Amino acid sequence: MTTFSLLLLFELTLIILSFTERVKRFLTMLMIQGVLLFGIAYLQLQHINALYLAFILLETIIIKGLLVPLFLNQMRKRNNFNRLAHSKVSTFITVMAISAAIVFGFLLSSNIHDDNLQTKFFAASIATIITGIYFMIVHRNIFTHIIGYLIMENGVFLFSLAVGSEMPMLVNTAILLDIFVGVLVLGIFANRVGDTFKNMHVDDLAQLKH
Amino acid sequence: MLIVYFLSAFAISGTLLYLRNRALQLFFNVLFLAVQTVLTVYAYCHLNENDSIYFAFDSIGVILSGVLTLLGYATFYHSYLYLERRSDTKRNKSIYYAALILLSASMNGAYFSKHLGTFWICVEATTLCVSALIYHERTPIALEATWKYVFICSVGISIALVGILSISVAVSKEGLTDLDLNSIVAHAQGMNTKWIKIAFILVLTGFSAKMSLFPLYAVCVDANTVAPPPINAFISTALKNVGFLGIFRMYTIIAQTDALPWANNVLMITGIISIAVSAAQLLRVNHFNRMLAFSCTEHMGIVALALSAGGIGYYAAVLHIVLHSFAKAGFFYQIGQVYSIYNSYLIKECGNYIKLNPLGAIVVILAFICVTAIPPSGLFVSEFMTFKSLFAGDHYYIAIAALFLLTVIMFVIGKDLLRLLYYNGDGFTAPQSVKINRLETVSQFIFFGFIIYLGVNPPEFFSDLIRGATAVLP
Repeated sequence: MTTFSLLLLFELTLIILSFTERVKRFLTMLMIQGVLLFGIAYLQLQHINALYLAFILLETIIIKGLLVPLFLNQMRKRNNFNRLAHSKVSTFITVMAISAAIVFGFLLSSNIHDDNLQTKFFAASIATIITGIYFMIVHRNIFTHIIGYLIMENGVFLFSLAVGSEMPMLVNTAILLDIFVGVLVLGIFANRVGDTFKNMHVDDLAQLKH
Repeated sequence: MLIVYFLSAFAISGTLLYLRNRALQLFFNVLFLAVQTVLTVYAYCHLNENDSIYFAFDSIGVILSGVLTLLGYATFYHSYLYLERRSDTKRNKSIYYAALILLSASMNGAYFSKHLGTFWICVEATTLCVSALIYHERTPIALEATWKYVFICSVGISIALVGILSISVAVSKEGLTDLDLNSIVAHAQGMNTKWIKIAFILVLTGFSAKMSLFPLYAVCVDANTVAPPPINAFISTALKNVGFLGIFRMYTIIAQTDALPWANNVLMITGIISIAVSAAQLLRVNHFNRMLAFSCTEHMGIVALALSAGGIGYYAAVLHIVLHSFAKAGFFYQIGQVYSIYNSYLIKECGNYIKLNPLGAIVVILAFICVTAIPPSGLFVSEFMTFKSLFAGDHYYIAIAALFLLTVIMFVIGKDLLRLLYYNGDGFTAPQSVKINRLETVSQFIFFGFIIYLGVNPPEFFSDLIRGATAVLP
């Protein structure tokens, strides 16, 4: 398996996410993304300090690939949240938008000529970040917002690979902290929102404006 | 030194988390304030020296740390009063103090970070601590504000991280392998401006959530609406300064490149939109905390305008940030007192304050003078310098638009505060029993005194620090 084929598989998960309605499948895709990032990091970063590499690999496979999806699955069960409510945007438009994001990523990277930038990672990261933001915008459920945030985080991880394969430890720690916030803190508060408002719909969170 | 400070802060915070004894809580809070003061004094005495690998005591860091220390004293004091008035569980009080100490430590970490990665980590840490503090009252509305704050800030900070990573593309062209700020600034001239511009936009967007600047200003407004008053005072000042510092650091990098005029235009647009948004929102606001929160957005817009104007505007931006911190903190403490009297933050439910609490009413009048930059407020000096540099740079339209919007803001805030002070008409029922602790207003008088003193007759060391902070700018 080459890095490029892993990246293509990663982009495929974005397409699958675009027409997925079952929350469980969303989490499976997140898990697959974590495993793919593990493979990409392993192939790409073999030359760096062994300790750093071990940290990054553990972060991708254990945190992104295992703990995060399992934690979110617990949250899903607790809130009895199995299927995404229909958003205002149809599945067809979502598939088209995410496909367009992937194409945009490739077009953008092919027009950037910079020796310090690994364009294949850059293309995938742009598409992933846009997909994450798209999910946060079109869906009205806070559970989906967390998933969108985590997709975006995976995009940031790919971006860090794009801008330098050295990937300093600090940047990686930053990403880990981001995931910690994303999953634990957002997850805890999302659970409370579910308990308090009996619903995880963002439209219920509008008291502040009154 | 900073390692010792962080370890002390963690130890004190951890101890407070498990402490339920009030006297011991008080002791450890005072101990932290002592540690905080020692750090600020040490930083000033070791100006421009590196510390603990990723940190350095530069002028802007020392200024903001000094502001944090002074605000810290008042915030801990008002927090003590606030918690005494409430019937929170001992556990919640412990969490409150522990989070407050960690928040202060994270903010200090951000102020003194000379590495962009460390800076980012400290900013993210502030989000975690603030979430615990906003959620303190455990109400549905507090939950809503906390959720929005954590979520939008996290997204914003992730965007800023992409910006910081973009800088690493630009620096690698110059052979740099890390994100040390001094090295980046030193090599900035030869960097690829395309990447620097991308980084600037992303960092500005991301940290606007912390600085309460357009486009992500709304998150701070919501947080301010429900956070406990002492926390409001803290996050509207010291925490906004963290956001400002993130943008300021990025600005010092881009200022060394050919992209400076472009960056100035971006900042100018951001600044004027921030002021316009706050003016529009203030016209329909009915909540004192939201009123002050939108006023923060207005002041951050002025800071952005000052930076974009350049020249004397750089000095004005830093001065404005410092003075705004004292003005807004004092105002928020007083609003806390207003709430304790009326049990409401709604403007229409408050009135006749001048009779109910004359000393507090004087503070409100002083706060109005300070916040709206009426002489002798020091903010008048910083705003005067800002507009002078705008006119000097031929930005007439922006300056006139900003002056018009500031007039609207002054009118709206003045109208609402006059109602608070004097309204005794239809629909208003004066509270039955009013208990006022006169000592609560002391911090506000001190802060407003600082604003006048630092603006009108700043001590030499303070001016030197501001000049040191802006020395790297063209």
